Amino acid sequence: MNVELPLIAFVLASALATAVLRDVLGAIIAFATYSLGIAVVWVVLQAPDVALTEAAVGAGVTTVLFLLTIAKTVRPSGDRVLERPHWPALAVAVLFVGVLATTLGALPEIGAADTTVITSEVTEYYLANAYEEAGVKNAVTAVLAAYRGFDTLGEVVVVYSAGVGLLVVLGKEVFA
Amino acid sequence: MSESASEADPEAAETADDLRSYVESPIIMATVRVVSPFVFTYGLYLMFHGANSSGGGFQGGVVVATVMLMLGIAFGIDPLREWVGESTLVLVVVAGVFAFLAIGVVTTLPPFGGGFLDYSALGFPGASKYGIEAVELFIGVVVASTITGLFFAIDAGKEGGDNE
Repeated sequence: MNVELPLIAFVLASALATAVLRDVLGAIIAFATYSLGIAVVWVVLQAPDVALTEAAVGAGVTTVLFLLTIAKTVRPSGDRVLERPHWPALAVAVLFVGVLATTLGALPEIGAADTTVITSEVTEYYLANAYEEAGVKNAVTAVLAAYRGFDTLGEVVVVYSAGVGLLVVLGKEVFA
Repeated sequence: MSESASEADPEAAETADDLRSYVESPIIMATVRVVSPFVFTYGLYLMFHGANSSGGGFQGGVVVATVMLMLGIAFGIDPLREWVGESTLVLVVVAGVFAFLAIGVVTTLPPFGGGFLDYSALGFPGASKYGIEAVELFIGVVVASTITGLFFAIDAGKEGGDNE
């Protein structure tokens, strides 16, 4: 039943491996497994739409793009497997995690029915009216493409800008 | 990679070459040939069926883009880029964004008089459902072609060539 603990251990281990592995290729592979673990975390948190995105983008596409990028670099010389820790950065990271950890106790249980997200007026309106007004059976899609369609247009423009940004950086006019 | 770096560390340069060079593998080519139609169909399914189950334009677009990534890995990125054409992707991305905008603007025009992206103002039965699906499709088009474009552009590198 308790899938959470092994899952968290897996995610933490792959995140740590991503950070400390000296070989970039190994770090990229560790990062892909990290994304896969996070995708399963989203499933556990009952957010299948986000899980799909994480699995497709994090574990799939970014890995390929990273591999293409490091193919243009050289591997670090030497035999050491692990990166030497950068102490100030490590201290900041530990501090940050510590600050975030203080909020853990305030998180509701997974799927709890009395959280503010679920009892909020807006959520109740969506859940009560989305199926009829939007004519679709996935309330997430109804919110994404109908009620907040303008936001989604913004997101599409963000994707478009990512493409344009890369072209600007590379000094090109077409993707070639 | 600069010339001096490859001279200073010939072994490292060789490794980089190994990573970059395209390997023609009959196993990968056969697998991609068999798998890609199914992956493509799954991507379209995510886009269209996202209205009724998990998924949507963003996820479906990424899955469709992976078909292009697989083709590039299996058959070489340069031939694939030539097959797609120089400026096709840019046109498709821009067309996708404008199609999304057009759907939003059409619903505000005088005969319908609704708000921006107010699909039900179009008036035919199921307008909202079809409107959402159309929008999801265009999101998918933008996402898929942008990711394919990133794939091509990152592989090609900077103008003037940082490859050589």
